[in-house]
This record gives sequence, C-alpha cells and structure tokens, in this order.
Amino acid sequence: RWLPSFNLFPLSCIHTSTSLQKTGKWEKKNRIVYPPQLPGEPRRPAVIYHCRRDIKYSKDKMWYLAKLIKGMSIDQALAQLEFSDKKGAKVIKEVLLEAQDLAVRKHNVEFKSNLHIAESLTGRGRYMKHIRYHAKGMFAFMKISRCHYFVKLVEGPPPPPEPPRTGFDQAKEYVQQLRNRTLVHTL
Amino acid sequence: VLVLLRSPLPRLRALLQCCWGRLERGFLPGGLGGQNPPWGPALAVQAPAVLPQAADDASESSAEAPSLLESILWMAVPKKRRTIEVNRCRRRHPSKLIKVKRNIDVCPECGNLKQKHVLCGYCYAKVKAETRLIRMEMRKKEGGPFKAPTVETVVLYDGEKPSEKDEGKRIIERPRKRPSWFVQK
Repeated sequence: RWLPSFNLFPLSCIHTSTSLQKTGKWEKKNRIVYPPQLPGEPRRPAVIYHCRRDIKYSKDKMWYLAKLIKGMSIDQALAQLEFSDKKGAKVIKEVLLEAQDLAVRKHNVEFKSNLHIAESLTGRGRYMKHIRYHAKGMFAFMKISRCHYFVKLVEGPPPPPEPPRTGFDQAKEYVQQLRNRTLVHTL
Repeated sequence: VLVLLRSPLPRLRALLQCCWGRLERGFLPGGLGGQNPPWGPALAVQAPAVLPQAADDASESSAEAPSLLESILWMAVPKKRRTIEVNRCRRRHPSKLIKVKRNIDVCPECGNLKQKHVLCGYCYAKVKAETRLIRMEMRKKEGGPFKAPTVETVVLYDGEKPSEKDEGKRIIERPRKRPSWFVQK
C-alpha cells in the first residue's frame, strides 16, 4: 500500500508569502504529520520546535547561553537561566516557557517536566547600519545586530552525557584504523 | 583673515602638516567623505596664512615629524588574519563558556527557586510590598519630613490590640489580616 513517510502541507502555502520575507523553516517543522504507529513499534517521543526571531542581542553572546542549555532537562535549564546575569537569559527563559506551554496544550505531552532540550541554536538576524560619531568630526558605521533563537524540545528524560574521549579510546581507534587497511593491487 | 587651529604644540602642527600634505595629494585622513569639492576654494584661501608658518616650522620640527611617522611603524600590529578555526578555539575554550551553577535550591516557604546564599526573590518581593504599605501609613501619620517620633513603632493588624508592653510606642494600623511571616512578639 502507498504509505508516505510524512505528509507535507499543499505547495500553494509556500507561494503566498512575499519574496522579501523569509519563510521560517523552523516554524514549519512543527507541521509534519507522521502516519499512525503500528502496534508493535516503540512510542515515538513528542518533538516540539519553537523559535523567536529578531532578538536585540548578539548571536555570539547568545551562543554561550544556548551551549549552556544543550542537553539539559527543561527544569534545570530554567533554573540556570533564572540566575544567569546575561540579557539573553531572560529571552531564552520566555521562549522555553512558551514552548513548554505549547507542548502541553497542542503536542499531547503529558508531563511538562518530562521534556529535555535536544537542540538549541542561534542564528543571525537582520543587521542595521548606524552612524557612530567620534571626536574631531570623525565618524564610523556601527552595526546593530539581532539574532534568532531556535529550540527543539523532546519528550523524555535527558540522555546521559557522553563520556569524554580518553587517550586510550583514541589509541584504540588508531590501531583499528591501521588494522582495517588492505593491500591494493596485490595477490 | 582666517583663524586656523593655532596650537602651541609643535607635534599637533606636524600632524596637521602630514594631513595637509595627504589632502593636497588627494588622500583623505579618516572618513571625511563627500567634502572634496568644497575643500578646493578653502585650500586656496587658507594657504597663504599657513605656508609662511609652515616654512618656519619645517626647520624647527623637521626632527619631530619623522619620529611621529616612525613611531607608527613600531606599533604592535597583527601580521596575519586570524582564521575562523583559531577564533573558534579561543571563543569556545572551556574558560569562556558559562559554568553550570550548582548552588540553586528550592525555597521552603513559597516553592520558587533561590540561590543558597541569597534571599528568595518572591518572598523578598512580598515583604517589600508590605513594608511599602506600612511606610505609607507612617508617612500619613507623620505628615511631613523630619517628624519621626523618638519612640518605637508597633504594627498592628485586624483584631489586634496593643499589649501592656506597647505603652508609649507609636501604633500603626494595617487593615488586613496579619501575614504568616510577620511574627508578633
């Protein structure tokens, strides 16, 4: 039987937006619909994509917060952000709370604490140029930077952190690579 | 007759001469864009005022002008552009990443999060609001600045009467139930 892997919304939706506005790909990820699961399959965990566009903050500075949060459970992430002194921490906390709310209301998540952050990314927003005045009639152009913040919440406890790569592991891999070599163009 | 920047410092004059020379050759110092045509007549008018002085100063400050140029050559300057790989190694170094805080607990009173060595934000805000109302009552009673009484103050809530110990004290009434955190002695 014909069973598509996922059903996309009809193509006419793409052409309705103007050419200057960028269509948000992250927002579209929430719309994919999977076919019903077979009785024997393990339960597919709920996935929620959420983002906020054009935050007045630098993408490099926001990246540090996104890196802090990666892989944590949502409660731990909210705790860390509440006591962080950064400007972006407040914004990310709002985004996480919004996403948690969405998850509970629309994406059939049972426990709001049972979410963890699978991915958290920052992107460059639209920059604006502005004149900055210096002494002696000199001037320069400064850029007013904005950023986007993307987060993907997945249902379930956070995965255990990977053990750091030791020298022994690296040596083992090296020896395995040497052993995998074959002799070419010989008997 | 025009009035130019007449500074007594010969260094500044040497700098001006360098800029002047660059202007005459056509290189602009700094980002003064869009002013080329208007500068033409200004140059012609200002020249006679400056050149005689320039002739005098050239002999005086000839030793100083090259030192200014040479000192620019000795300045610390990057030799090569830092590649993105090198930049990433510096920006993503563990010392630059934000550390995970391990001193966050739950407040036993209200259940919000609090840092171990800091008062709970929610409870503090509650107490602050109540103190503000008490202070407003005190201001109403005093009726002006510098009129604070020399006796102690006692705050009484609904249905409480001043005890024998509160004989000579100033009493402030608050028309609400006593909050649980405000313990009466």
